[in-house]
Amino acid sequence: MHGDSASSAPERGSSVAAPERVPLLEARQLTVRFGGLVAVDRVDARFHAGELVGIIGPNGAGKTTFFNAISGVQTPTSGRLELAGRDLTGRKPHQFARLGLARTFQTPRVFADLPVAANIEFGLKFAGRRPRKWWLWGEERGVSWALRDAQSILSLIGLTAQAGLRAADVTPAQQRLLEIGMALATRPRMLLLDEVAAGLTEAEVEEMARLIKRLRDELDLSVVWIEHAVTVLLRYVERVIVLHQGAKIADARPHEVIRDPKVVEAYLGDEIIELDKVAA
Amino acid sequence: MNDRQLLVRDLLVLLALTGWALALPGIASDFVIAMALTCLMYVALSTSWTLFCGATRYLSLATSAFFGIGAYTTAVALEHLPWVATIALGSGIAALTAVVMGLAVLHLRGTYFAVLTFGMAELIRHAISYFEKSVSGTVGRVLTVVPELQTIYLTVLVLAVGTVGLSIWLRRTRFGLALVGIGADEQRAQTLGVDTRRVKVIGFALTAAVAGAVGAAMAVRWTYIDPHTAFNPFIGFQTVLIALIGGVATLWGPLLAAIVFSVLAETLRLQAPQVYMMTLGLLLILCVLYLPGGLASLRWSTFQGWRRDMAGWWKARRHEWSGDKEREKQRARRQRVLGA
Repeated sequence: MHGDSASSAPERGSSVAAPERVPLLEARQLTVRFGGLVAVDRVDARFHAGELVGIIGPNGAGKTTFFNAISGVQTPTSGRLELAGRDLTGRKPHQFARLGLARTFQTPRVFADLPVAANIEFGLKFAGRRPRKWWLWGEERGVSWALRDAQSILSLIGLTAQAGLRAADVTPAQQRLLEIGMALATRPRMLLLDEVAAGLTEAEVEEMARLIKRLRDELDLSVVWIEHAVTVLLRYVERVIVLHQGAKIADARPHEVIRDPKVVEAYLGDEIIELDKVAA
Repeated sequence: MNDRQLLVRDLLVLLALTGWALALPGIASDFVIAMALTCLMYVALSTSWTLFCGATRYLSLATSAFFGIGAYTTAVALEHLPWVATIALGSGIAALTAVVMGLAVLHLRGTYFAVLTFGMAELIRHAISYFEKSVSGTVGRVLTVVPELQTIYLTVLVLAVGTVGLSIWLRRTRFGLALVGIGADEQRAQTLGVDTRRVKVIGFALTAAVAGAVGAAMAVRWTYIDPHTAFNPFIGFQTVLIALIGGVATLWGPLLAAIVFSVLAETLRLQAPQVYMMTLGLLLILCVLYLPGGLASLRWSTFQGWRRDMAGWWKARRHEWSGDKEREKQRARRQRVLGA
């Protein structure tokens, strides 16, 4: 279940990935060290185009640090990061965004004083900006129809009615949606979601999961999703990577992962009962 | 008002104010012109300060350094260069200094940034003092050929109008949006594709260029220039104070506060300098406590709100002093005893 298992990961529920296919994002021996503490320990991970991958792990497993490293916010101590074969190691976060890696944050970090629509436009004007059809005129080239402007993104995430409100004045659940909308506004190839369902009610979590799946299907994105609400996540993703004490201990389909003795041990019976519910 | 109407309004206000300022030398005495000159100087300085520092919330105390660099450039170069070239040179040198300074300290935030910019301003001042004393063998420079007051006034007017115009324009560009994004959440702006380092350095240099140009133009008001007058930290502090009291996020706040200040300065500073400084302090405290958006955020409803608050407070006092409050309390206590 270590290292080479990534290459045999299932693709969109279909059979086995062709081994020669170049992954969209690949982390090789990625390590992040804070002083003496190794937060992420030589993690290998590959994410293919169109995949919906979940990352789980007990508290302090290094999920968010791993996430910060693959989204450019945290410079890895060592290891390599490639986006479609292009080396990303040591680049700045804004370059990650321009190359098509968009992320959300655990606590929504929206521009509180700006209206909801302006929050979306921010991404459209920077990382999401594309050359226009006739130099300064016409629609932007190479943009999917659902992401053409702020209005279309708002209707995609279901916040059309809140477009004119200040971002600080909408509910926390709506702020989480807005956070995803801001990431979508950068017109990404890959969406990295950091605990987007934390603090939501069960119904809202379910709705969020459906939205994520729908975004993946409609926009042809690949999505990496970290979550604490493991039960819901396991029902929606096609592949799960399990981190424990900074290292990758499993990388397989959800129903295989929950039977993995290493995973069961890492969770120390914590959520195993819930995991069994998934299997049922 | 939509965006377009706001732009038209701002431009019309700017045009009207420019007209008044242009007409002033024809109708006013030299004293009033000198006062207007100070006013225009602070309009340019504090508007350019809010342009970068107000939007990004990086509190820079280096204005006096850029102002001084401009002033010193004039002192050295005015004999050899025409007037406009001198100002352009002062502005350019100040901007270059800001680029170097920005690359060194713009990754810091909050207090560290403020203290370091102030430290760097002091460093530049003392370095120039030392250079003048040990290499040039002087403690200051005398300006012999000085342009007329009219020329200086027009130059500073052009700079002030240009700065306000620049501020109006920048607010509507991607660059302005990037500055606001950095102020709201720098890391978030970065993950949405803003090259924050570049934007910050350019913004800082823009502020410095204006301060340098103003310094270069105002230097000729003093016939004798030494590092301690040119790099007077008070100019930097007053710029920040004006911007804070006027409203750092607003366009017209710094302008409004600059006018209030220069009138206060000219009327109070000569007769009662302590009163002037105390007024500054008091205004700052009042603004921070009761008007966080600055003078420009004052609306009729703000006064109405204050009036309501005062009326409520007065009603409560009357209720207390008449003894009704005490009686009601006792009645409530008695009823509780009876109820139990």
